[in-house]
Amino acid sequence: MSCAFDVAHVSYHPTDLLPQPQSGKFLTIKKAMKITGAPCGYSRTLQEGSNWDLIGSIPEGNVYKPRDQVLTVECSNVYEAYLVCVSQSLVGFYLPVEQGFVALKKAVDLPTD
Amino acid sequence: MKRRLQFALLILLAVVLSACATGAKFTEVNPDLVSESPNMGRIFFYRPSAIGAALQPDVMLNDEKIGKAISWGFFYVDRPAGNYQCVTSTEVERKVSFILEPGQTRYVRFTVSFGFFVGHVYGELVDDSVGLEEIKDCKYIGQEKP
Repeated sequence: MSCAFDVAHVSYHPTDLLPQPQSGKFLTIKKAMKITGAPCGYSRTLQEGSNWDLIGSIPEGNVYKPRDQVLTVECSNVYEAYLVCVSQSLVGFYLPVEQGFVALKKAVDLPTD
Repeated sequence: MKRRLQFALLILLAVVLSACATGAKFTEVNPDLVSESPNMGRIFFYRPSAIGAALQPDVMLNDEKIGKAISWGFFYVDRPAGNYQCVTSTEVERKVSFILEPGQTRYVRFTVSFGFFVGHVYGELVDDSVGLEEIKDCKYIGQEKP
């Protein structure tokens, strides 16, 4: 059970995804990684061995969709999210329903193959 | 004094139990996890807790009422692939948005958080393995025969 008395919103800005369907490229997380810079202070964990398929790009970076775990960002509401990376660094999240980008406060290097 | 307290606890227990789902357990219903139609996806909704059982908000999926978030209850719907927003309202409106793909199964878990006057019931998208494990003890409250 969590505690939230008021409604807080995830800050995102609209962005355009340039799809790269069936790119064949993907990331594998070598070691479980906790991301603490997500919106509203909620942490998220990228699971060890999880695979993330490159599905396209937005101006902020490449977009990777999870193959075997669910990723969301949340404040009062919850949004499905994909990773946005520049090289091996995670810079934020892409919200596929809202077609928006949520920036991490600070980019973090991902433990990938 | 002790008797009054016991009586109050019994009343409270009765209220909580009467607010929980009744029906066949998930493991008894044993529904198909995937939609029969290849163009559709299946979404399971469940609430694996008795906390705030008196709160039973409507569950709206893309503005359509599809059920209620009842403690220890579950139901599912099949929908075409696309973007979905699930909304539950108590004193505030809570949303969870997600993509549904053809042949995909998604699990939305309802949880209660503290509110100002009453609790808030909100949906979370969870991993398939988590959803499948947590839903086992929930009881079917869907309108359609599984």
